[in-house]
Amino acid sequence: MSLFWIVIRQLAEIEEMATSKKVITREEWEKKLNDVRIRKEDMNRLVMNFLVTEGYVDAAEKFRAESGTEPDIDLATITDRMAVKKAVQCGNVEDAIEKVNDLNPEILDTNPQLFFHLQQQRLIELIRNGKVEEALEFAQEELAPRGEENQSFLEELEKTVALLAFEDVSNCPVGELLNISQRLKTASEVNAAILTSQSHEKDPKLPSLLKMLIWAQNQLDEKAAYPRINDLSKATLEDPSV
Amino acid sequence: MLVLQNTLLLHFYSLQFHFIGENYTHTESKREFSPLCSGSPFVFNQFVSGLKAMSAINATNGEDLARYFLDRSRLSLARGLCDMDEDEEAPTELNTINSSGGFLVVSPDKLSVKYTNVNLHGHDVGVVQGNRPAPVKRLVYYFEIFVKDAGTKGQIAIGFTSENFKMRRQPGWEANSCGYHGDDGNLYRGPGKSDEFGPTYTSGDIVGGGINYASQEYFFTKNGAVVGTAFKEVKGPLFPTIAVHSQNEEVQEFEVQERMKLQMTVDKMSLPTNVSHGLVRSYLQYYGYEDTLHSFDTATKSTVPPIYIAQENGFDEHDIVYALSQRKILRQLIRNGDIDAALGKLREWYPQIVQDDKSATCFLLHCQKFIELIRVGALEEAVKYGRMELAKYFEFPEFDDLVKDCVALLAYQRPHESSVGYLLEETQREVVADTVNAMILSTNPNMKDSQSFLHSYLERLLRQLTACCLERRSLNGDQGEAFHLHSVLDSNKAKC
Repeated sequence: MSLFWIVIRQLAEIEEMATSKKVITREEWEKKLNDVRIRKEDMNRLVMNFLVTEGYVDAAEKFRAESGTEPDIDLATITDRMAVKKAVQCGNVEDAIEKVNDLNPEILDTNPQLFFHLQQQRLIELIRNGKVEEALEFAQEELAPRGEENQSFLEELEKTVALLAFEDVSNCPVGELLNISQRLKTASEVNAAILTSQSHEKDPKLPSLLKMLIWAQNQLDEKAAYPRINDLSKATLEDPSV
Repeated sequence: MLVLQNTLLLHFYSLQFHFIGENYTHTESKREFSPLCSGSPFVFNQFVSGLKAMSAINATNGEDLARYFLDRSRLSLARGLCDMDEDEEAPTELNTINSSGGFLVVSPDKLSVKYTNVNLHGHDVGVVQGNRPAPVKRLVYYFEIFVKDAGTKGQIAIGFTSENFKMRRQPGWEANSCGYHGDDGNLYRGPGKSDEFGPTYTSGDIVGGGINYASQEYFFTKNGAVVGTAFKEVKGPLFPTIAVHSQNEEVQEFEVQERMKLQMTVDKMSLPTNVSHGLVRSYLQYYGYEDTLHSFDTATKSTVPPIYIAQENGFDEHDIVYALSQRKILRQLIRNGDIDAALGKLREWYPQIVQDDKSATCFLLHCQKFIELIRVGALEEAVKYGRMELAKYFEFPEFDDLVKDCVALLAYQRPHESSVGYLLEETQREVVADTVNAMILSTNPNMKDSQSFLHSYLERLLRQLTACCLERRSLNGDQGEAFHLHSVLDSNKAKC
């Protein structure tokens, strides 16, 4: 009988060794957290980077005044960039193209894909507004030649023109092109291109740091049990599950 | 195996990108401080106050809270001085003492070696190590050699060896070593362990050896292209052996590629909708940046589609909207240097915060008033104010250092340029403003969590991120990169 228990205990120990992870209690972890130094001015810069990249120009100006944080880009350029973005979001693609070229003609010259997507968006807007003839003419004259240069452009063009084949576009398989999200997609593509042309990163740093936090927590999960933050919007520590 | 006249031109070079500031301190890390910091009075404080900060957190007493911020301000100063404390020293030159003397000549710049002996047997290899082991707290360590003249047999090897490596053997011939050999292109990893690895190399080639700490692999390059990788069994310190050199873009490329792979993995993580917007918003609320907050709210509501942060993320408005306008006004006054007005408002709105004149909050405000007088050159008035308001703090050991620094401002004709000039910087006002802000937040009767006013949500997440990266590194044998917000901001790509 006693031998039986010894064997059981040994088995349990072996199992525990195989699965044992370092356990960090809440108290220990809080001490570690407390030892971390995050500088206020760095957090301010992170917030400023977000406001600037997302194009909240008024907020960025106020933030500069209230926190003394200098933006990493000329705030005036944000206004122009946001005007372009807004134009696409509202469906004024021609206007947007003009504005981009005013800003820097190289952006569209060096970025055929972006230019194609803008033209495609223009076609979508024509179809949306029921200007069938104009749409056909535009597709044949402006878009078809580009489709010949590039297979993926051609496919996208065909998909877009297919909108004309349906009387009730809301139910057709390519109907999503008329969705607001298509405008937003194009708008964010232009936005990114303008930022890149200003040698600024196209994405704010904050979301990528948040992703890194999720990733880092997942990585650490493999080695240790520790208090996690599961709800980013509340930033509260949850006790480790042991 | 004979090595004839081999001439190697060697340069130590290592990729050092991100060592700006270790955001993390604990008592064990003291030994890591660079000599730059050891003379700083803040280093000691850092550890003492680390303990104090703990007790401050445990107590919910308001006074201790302000001390916590006072301590943090000290720490942030200490950090400023010790920005490079994680900068492990990389090998910079060849070790002239522990090389197999007589068989090779090390040039006076200690970056080139020449093998002079003729016709010796296999145990008489000329080997030389770097003067320090390869640093480990990074993603990648890498070095290169330029083979000026491979000699008649071209028996050259580049690799890594442990500290007690026998200095007359090629790297890879002995245990705990690894070497990529030029004459056969093989990779040697201990006695009898030799594998076909890459091309041979000879005069005119640039050959590199590196360690990828994330994957725990060696990698070797020839003329900038990666030849191959091999698992690194050795856990201890490794010395770059026979080797090293100048910047090479292709090889930097290697690190860039590794980083991109990592970035792609990280980018795959999905975030709740608009969580960044919500965090920015709560940050603005927390610190009382009211004008920015209103602009931000107006802007997010008018975007296509509008973003309604509070509803979507369930941020609890009541906790941080508390006293927003008052906090904003006080921050403005302090940032403008108008301490009298700030004290006046505090006495009116939150007498409980300033009723104890010996509290850390009052202390910081009085110090700031003194500093502002110095700033405008009102020295006489400063002296008077100091006698009246600051002198009493000399009795308290916890305030002692800051009082001394403040008073020291009087000693300099150009205090800005003095060692206590930091007090005149904008960050000092910010510290005072942040302390007052947190003190006001702590008076919120609806505060559920007694610690929630200590940090903004954003800061809590950044702390968690930093701690996770450091913990992971420490569980990984102390190898790999840490996370530094500061260097992420200075770079174009986020790192971990």
